[in-house]
This record gives sequence, C-alpha cells and structure tokens, in this order.
Amino acid sequence: MIAHLRALFPPFDWHRVIVEPWSADPAISLWIVLMGFFVAAACGLVGNYLLLRRMALVGDAISHSILPGLVLAFLIFRHTNIWTAFAGALGAGFATVLLIEFIHKQSRVKADAAICIAFTVLFAAGVVLMSLLETKGSFHIDAECVLYGEIAFVPLEPPVVWGGIGLGPPSVLRMGGMLVLVLVLITAFYKELLVTSFDPGLSRSLGMNTGLWHYGLMGVLALVVVSAFEAVGAILAVAMLIVPAMFAAQLSNRLPVRLGLTIIHAAVSSLLGYHLSVWLQCSTAGAMVVAGAGLFTAAWVAGLWHTAALRLRSRNS
Amino acid sequence: MSASGTDPALPLEIHDLTVAYHKKPVLYGIDLEIPAGKLVGVVGPNGAGKSTLIKAIMGLLPASSGWVKVFGKPYRESCHRVGYVPQRESVDWDFPVSVMDVVLMGRYGRLRLAQRPTRHDREIARECLEKVRMLPFANRQIGNLSGGQQQRVFLARALAQESDLYLMDEPFVGVDAATETAIITLLRELQSRGKTLIVVHHDLSSVREYFDMLVLLNMRLVAAGPTREIFTQEILQATYGGRLTILSDVAQAIGEGG
Amino acid sequence: MPGTHPRLRAAILRGGGILIFLLLAAPAHAARINELAESTLSGRMVRFFTFQDPSLRYALLGSMLLGICCGLMGAFLVVRKLSLLGDALSHAVLPGVALGFLWGMTKDPLAIFIGATVAGLLGAGTVQLLRHTTRHKEDASIGFVLASFFGVGVCLMTMIQNVPGGNKSGLDKFMFGQAAALGRGDVLLLAVVALLALGAVTVFYKEYTITSFDPGFARSMGLPVQVFHYSLMLLLAFAIVSALQAVGVVLVTAMLVIPAATAFLLTDRLGWLLVLSAVFGMCAGAIGAFFSFVGRNLPTGPFMVLAAAAVFTAAILFGPRHGIVARWWRHVSRSARIRRENTLKSVYHVLEDEGFRSEQVDARELAERRRETIEEAQAQLNTLRRHGLATLSGDGISASLTPEGWQRACEIVRNHRLWELYLTNAAQIAADHVHEDAEKIEHVLGEETVRRLEKRLNNARRDPHGRLIPGLEDIRLGAGARPTPPQPTGYGAPDPPAP
Repeated sequence: MIAHLRALFPPFDWHRVIVEPWSADPAISLWIVLMGFFVAAACGLVGNYLLLRRMALVGDAISHSILPGLVLAFLIFRHTNIWTAFAGALGAGFATVLLIEFIHKQSRVKADAAICIAFTVLFAAGVVLMSLLETKGSFHIDAECVLYGEIAFVPLEPPVVWGGIGLGPPSVLRMGGMLVLVLVLITAFYKELLVTSFDPGLSRSLGMNTGLWHYGLMGVLALVVVSAFEAVGAILAVAMLIVPAMFAAQLSNRLPVRLGLTIIHAAVSSLLGYHLSVWLQCSTAGAMVVAGAGLFTAAWVAGLWHTAALRLRSRNS
Repeated sequence: MSASGTDPALPLEIHDLTVAYHKKPVLYGIDLEIPAGKLVGVVGPNGAGKSTLIKAIMGLLPASSGWVKVFGKPYRESCHRVGYVPQRESVDWDFPVSVMDVVLMGRYGRLRLAQRPTRHDREIARECLEKVRMLPFANRQIGNLSGGQQQRVFLARALAQESDLYLMDEPFVGVDAATETAIITLLRELQSRGKTLIVVHHDLSSVREYFDMLVLLNMRLVAAGPTREIFTQEILQATYGGRLTILSDVAQAIGEGG
Repeated sequence: MPGTHPRLRAAILRGGGILIFLLLAAPAHAARINELAESTLSGRMVRFFTFQDPSLRYALLGSMLLGICCGLMGAFLVVRKLSLLGDALSHAVLPGVALGFLWGMTKDPLAIFIGATVAGLLGAGTVQLLRHTTRHKEDASIGFVLASFFGVGVCLMTMIQNVPGGNKSGLDKFMFGQAAALGRGDVLLLAVVALLALGAVTVFYKEYTITSFDPGFARSMGLPVQVFHYSLMLLLAFAIVSALQAVGVVLVTAMLVIPAATAFLLTDRLGWLLVLSAVFGMCAGAIGAFFSFVGRNLPTGPFMVLAAAAVFTAAILFGPRHGIVARWWRHVSRSARIRRENTLKSVYHVLEDEGFRSEQVDARELAERRRETIEEAQAQLNTLRRHGLATLSGDGISASLTPEGWQRACEIVRNHRLWELYLTNAAQIAADHVHEDAEKIEHVLGEETVRRLEKRLNNARRDPHGRLIPGLEDIRLGAGARPTPPQPTGYGAPDPPAP
C-alpha cells in the first residue's frame, strides 16, 4: 500500500511542475487555465444565486440532464454542433425542472426524492441512448468526457481565425462569451435578482413576476452548464457551480463582495488546479475542483480557528 | 360587480372574498371597505386567516371567489400605491445584504426594469432609516440585528415605498417595548399624513390604544368598524369564543378529499 | 404495524435460505459473460432464462441482492427526506474506491468495500460538520460533499493509471456499472451486506421506526437516537458500496430512491414500505441484469434505473389510491354525481314551486329553471332514470322521482339550506353570500355533519331566504307514500320559537 501510494505521488519537481508548463509551450497552459477560469467564474456567479435560493441541488439535477439533452439533440437534428447542443441542453434542463415539479405535485413524493428521481432517470436514459447509438457507430460521446471532461484537449482544437489572426480555441472563446453574458445579465438585472431571491413576497407585491425570474435563472444555468460540460463533465460542473459560491459565502456577507470573491476563487483554483494536475499527472478538471475545494476548506478552517481564538481571548480577559 | 359603483378614493374594497389553501377554505365571504386615513387593526385568534387576508389582498394567494379593489382598481394596477411589511420570519436573515440594500428594495417598484436606484432613491432610503432611527446601522449586514431592529428595517423599507396604503403583517411580534412605541408613533404620523394602514395584530391589550378602526376576523368577518363601537365583550366573545367547529371540520374534510 | 412484522421476518429467513443455496450451487470456475457476445439475441435470451452460465448467475443474484439492500436503506432515506444525502454519499465513495484499489492494485472486493465505506462515512460526517459550524444551508453542504469528494475521486482514479503494474481493467466499470463484472467474492459480500441490512432492520424495526418518525420523542424515551442514525448511515454506506460495481457511482442514488418512492406511493405503512421497496429494488436489479446481458454487455446501472423508473411511472399513474388515473376517475365520478344531484335539486325546486301538487316534472319546466335547452334537460332526466332515481313518462317529456330519487333530492336541498342557515346564523356571513358556497358544500356534507348542523341550529325549519328545509319525515313519507304525491307533513308546521 505504502509503495503504491508513493508511486501515486510523483516527486514534486519545481521546474517540471511550475516553470516548464509556461516556458515550454505557454499557449497550451494559457488556454487550459483560461478555460478553467471561465468555466469556474461563469458557473460560480450563477451558483451564488442558486445558493441564495437554496437550489444548489437543482443545479446538480440540471447538470446531469445535459447528457440526455445532447443525445436527444443528436437524434432530432441528426448532427452535432454548438447550437443543437444548446437547444438540447436547454430542453433537457427545462424537462428536468418540469419533471421535478410534476412528480412533486402529482404524487405524495417529497421534493428531495423528486429531484433524485428526475435527474437519475434522465441521466440513465441518456447513457442507454448513448450506448445504443455507440454500438451503431453513428454517435460518440466518451464516457470519460461525461465524467471528467476534456479540458486538457481544449488547446488542440483548431483555433478560430478572424481577419487573419488566430484568436484561440473556439470552446474557450465560447466560454468567455458565456462569462461576459452572465456578467452583463447580473449587472443589468442585479436588483430584480436580488429582491426575488431575498423576499419573493415583497417582489410579487411590487408587481414582479417571480416565476419568470426563476425560469430565466434556470435557463441561464442550463446554458452555462452545457458550455462547461465539454470541459469539465456533468458532475464536476456541479462543483464549479457550488464550490466558488460557498467559498465566497464563507468569507463575506455582502452580495457584491461575494460575486467578486467568486471570480478570484475561480482564477486561483484554476491556476492551482492546473499545476496540481501537472504535478500529479491526473485529470485537469478534477484537480481544479480539488484546488477549489481546498481553498474553501482553508477558508472554513481559518474561520473556525478565528472564532475559537476569539472565544479563548474573551474567556481569558 | 361593475366598477361604476366603486369610489376611486376608497383605499380598499373587498367583496365576497373566499380564499382556500390546497382547496381548504381559510376565509369565507369577506366583505370589507376601508375608508382613507384610517389606522386599522386586524384582530382574531390563531389560524383565523389574518395573514391570509393580507396576502389575498395583494394577490399572493389566489382567491377562489370574490374580488379585491385597491383605490378602485384591481391590485395589479395600483400595486405602486401599496406598501407591504411581511412577517419577519418570512425572509432569510443570513442573506448577504446590508440594511441600506433592504430599504432600497422599497424603491424597486418605482424603477424600470434593469434601472439602478438613483441618488434620489438613496436619499429617500436614508431619510426613512433616520425616521426609524436605524441610520447608524445602514451598512450592517441584516443578520447582525436584534428582532426589533430587523422590524424597523422592514418598516423603513415600507416607508421608502411612499405608498398610500400600507399592509403590515404582525409588525409588533418579537420587538422590544421601545421599538413598539417607536413603531406606533410612526404609524400615527403616517396616518396624520392621510395614509391608510392595515395592521395585523395579536395583542388585545393594546388594541384600544393603537387603532381607530378594527377588523375582527375568524375564518369569516365577525365585525368591522370604529374601535369604540366594535371592541366590546360581546363581539370579542363571538370572535375568540365559540369556535366554528363545523365550519373548520367541513373545511378540513374538503382539504383532505380534494 | 403488528401484522407485517412476523411476516417480514419469515420472508427474510426464507430469502436467506434460497440465497445460500444459490451461492453454494454456483461453481467457482466460469466463463465471463463477455465471451458470449457473439451469440444471437434469441440465443442469449435462452441462455439467460436457463441460467446456464455461472457468471450470469452471479450477475443476476448480485443485482437482485443489491436491489434488496438499496431498497431497504432507500426506504429510510425517503421517509426521512434524506434522498439527496444518499446522492451525496454515493458520489463521495469514489475516492475510497480508488484507495481500496490501490491497496493491492487489484479489484479486491473487501479492500474496495472498506475504503469506500470509510469515504462514505467521511462524507456524511462532513455534511454534519458543515451544517454545525457554518451558515451554509443543507443543500449547499450536500452539494459540496458530492462535488468535492467526486473531484478527489476523479483525480485519484486518473492518478492510478500512472501507477505501474496491477490489473486496472474494470475500474471504469465503477462509473456506470457492469453486473457482468461481478465475481463470486462480490456476490458473497453482497449477500453478507443484504443479510446484515435485513437483520438490523428486522431486529431494530421499532427503534428505527420511532427514531425516523419522531427523533425528539425517541430521545425523551431514552433511546440513543444518534447511535441509530449513524448505524443507519453505516448500513446506507454498505448498501451504496456493494451496489457500486453493478450500478455505478452516478446512478446508485436512483436505486436507493426510486424503489422506495414507488413503495411510498402504494402504501402508508412503514413495514409494507420496506417490503415493497426491497421487492421493487430486487425486480429492477433482475431486469437491469437481463437487458445488460441480452444487449451484449450494455452498462447495467442505467437499465436498472430505467426498470425502476418504469415501475415508478406505473405506480404514479395507476396507484390504487394516490394514482393519477384513480384520482381522475374519482374526480369524474364525483362530477357526474354532482351533476345528478344538481338535476335532482332542480326537480325538487320545480315541485316546490308548484306547492308539491303534482309529482310529475316536465322537461320544459326543468329546462327553463336550469336555463338550458329541452334536449339537455331530457338528457339529464335520462341520466337520472339510468341511475334508478326517476321514471320517465312514455313520451320522455315528463318524469317523476323514484323513492330513492326523492330521498336524495330532499337530502341535497336540506344540505344546501342547512348550510346557508349555518353560515348566516353561526358565522354571520351576509345572506346574499352564502348561496354559492352552499352550492359546493351540499355535495360533501356527511350524515354526521348534518346531524350536528341540525343540533347547532335547533332544528330550524326555514332557511335564510325563508324557504322551508325538508325534514327527516319528509324524506321518509315521500318515500313511503308512493305513488301518492309526496305531501311533506313538516311543511306549513309552525316554526320553532327563534333561538
């Protein structure tokens, strides 16, 4: 066991882990880290609102439903591109939300069980369809991609060329666009999102349509998650939704500060995670999640330490 | 049910309002007219439907029959003239907003979609905070406040709505004596400026002192009118005493059967 | 639930016996299912049902056993509203699986079992810790454990690929599950876990019931609530871990929740809930193994989940009491009854307006009163005839009520007027508001409520609009006095003095 563990962790070589990725081929490192940052920041910003509305696990459900959405979009449109993927993911996201509501309202099954049932069934249907299509050889999504994502392959995509200048891999640009979209939406509709999350009763008494904002948020969530899916897979996308937002919530009780902290967390965790994956030679997306969770744990423990120290001091004085 | 008969100046008019929760009736056939400039207490035992009435007025709960008019129009059309103070427990006090942010929410009804609160709005919010003596706390996170302070923040938010009709759900619950006095002083001041206030209240001992009009409720309207005339032993007995067991049993049966 | 308990115990003993027999009967050496991939579909189906292949026997037995484990533990998750904790734990075991594999660089069932159980319990502990030491809500805590543990697991799994040596094949099967990969050791482990779960649930049935239903009360009785909670979590972790191989990390939670939710739709008793949940889980397992085998080693987990989902859908649709079809049928038959009763009431009103001189009701009069066409009125009278509530004249234009119809009509009118009187007298609701409510209530008032209303209203004889309320004698006399016109004796009698 010990020997195996030692084999598991390669020696930490400063040059190989920290310097080489940026000196040998900086473009590859840059695109991977940038992609990780875009994914974590876009997901994390949306995740802040999920946490405030106690809907973290609806995010879990929707990110699982992306897979059947993609397969179904392929079955309908007979080919795969980014637009069919978006359409499929949006459809699947709404199907999940509606299925949860249907099960919850039409039977005595409680909401938590309804969430579990809805997304696992859709996910199972997705896997079955995927494996049936795979045996026919017409359609291929790697099971590894569903689970781990393929962020390491992002730099290998043929770059988008615009006016003779190579701008970068298309998925990175797309994710960057998604981050900008999320930022614009949050800035523009800050007050509407705030009041419908904080006090739905007041916002309805002010004449706002809370249901519309709810479904709008779900729609943006589905868009962000489907863009992230390719890079980090279905389950690690949940981490990208929840962990940065939790980190921010641990450190601040002001929403604007939290949104800023989310972006910082996204940047730091993607950079740390990238180097972690270079060191351990493991899944890059997984390492980014581990780095992010590590940051949260550090903030958590530091907070506990702080309160314990305060208590001790007050007892002594 | 034509609108021609209604007085546009009447802040609140309810006709034959029945409200059901999960098909189970909670309020039966309420008829109510509130004249302008009154400080009205809504009183009744637990589960009498006091909060339900407030929520049904604003359309937060659907009415199974009857109608509500606010200033002679359906609620939707005059929602900008109504201020609302929900029960304190209805929100999450860990929410990451400051006192100032909460008070500014009162201005949201006057802002367009995606429009930011202006300097003017902040000015008003600051004045409202000053009125409830909470200005020093403007930048505090709302979780770090006492119950009385939280209630004052909600009150300041309602003030910031600059409404003509205020609906308040149990604003005196869980507040200290000083806050209670401050709140009632503020309500009187609003009333003196011609505002109409409808306040859900549970403490019978202070009813005579606080309100000049009462609505006594127990699943149906028992009585409504000036406090002097209505606040009698007999009517209180009718409100709190003989529970309408058959009515509530039948309501229960409908709720289960539906 | 005293009835189910001994039966449950008997079933467990019998199940255990069969299980041991099957295990001993299975020879140790066996071709793996994979090698059969070349045969035809029908051939594979024959092989499945004849149980020729020992490896198939393992796969089937294992799938059924894991269905039982997951069903039992899932039942407690669902009644305690902890389904999402189950989801978190099933993802959280992944790092444990990797470390267990690392122990000997083989898929040693026991090492993986121990590693995964430890990881699962760590996950459950982290959720508790987050809840007690931070302000994060429960959904966030659960989501954090789910995602971060899974992230660690993903890293470890990919790191293992770099470690030289060992038999790494089949490790990816932990993601979506492959029942065909179950070996004799796996099935033995599953059997032990299933027996453990069954035993614990049987022996401590009442303790688990009370601690799940009302922990506060259980604590007041001196039961160690925490011990039972954590023992349940341990059993849950066991069930998850033992199911991993065949169902996969991602979908274990479905095997926990769906059979239990299905059972929850069908029964109100915890005892039956456990039994049904285990049975549904077992069936889903068997069906999943079947499709996986017949479909040339398609992943097993998704098929099990879809099989469970099919049963769930059937239960949601056709459940005898809470099913959508049953509720729809109840709604339809109730609406039909209400329509009939409204016709009867109109007939009564027509008769009443004529002072009960005639017992015949003309379809024209009825149509006029109900503001309908004559055809509609005739159709309604026809409906009454079909239900034995009225007889029609030869031309179908007029009708008279049968004794039963007369009785029902009196009851409905009586309910309506009593309720109006109650609302105006006791609830002080304005007389012009009560009619609409009474229109609905008249159809749902039970006999007992009517008696209480009469008592409360001092057997009043007139409704708020001054019309007479038909009394009990009217019902009886009307029925007995056929074919003479129903001449209610109560009518015209002086009112009792005002209360």
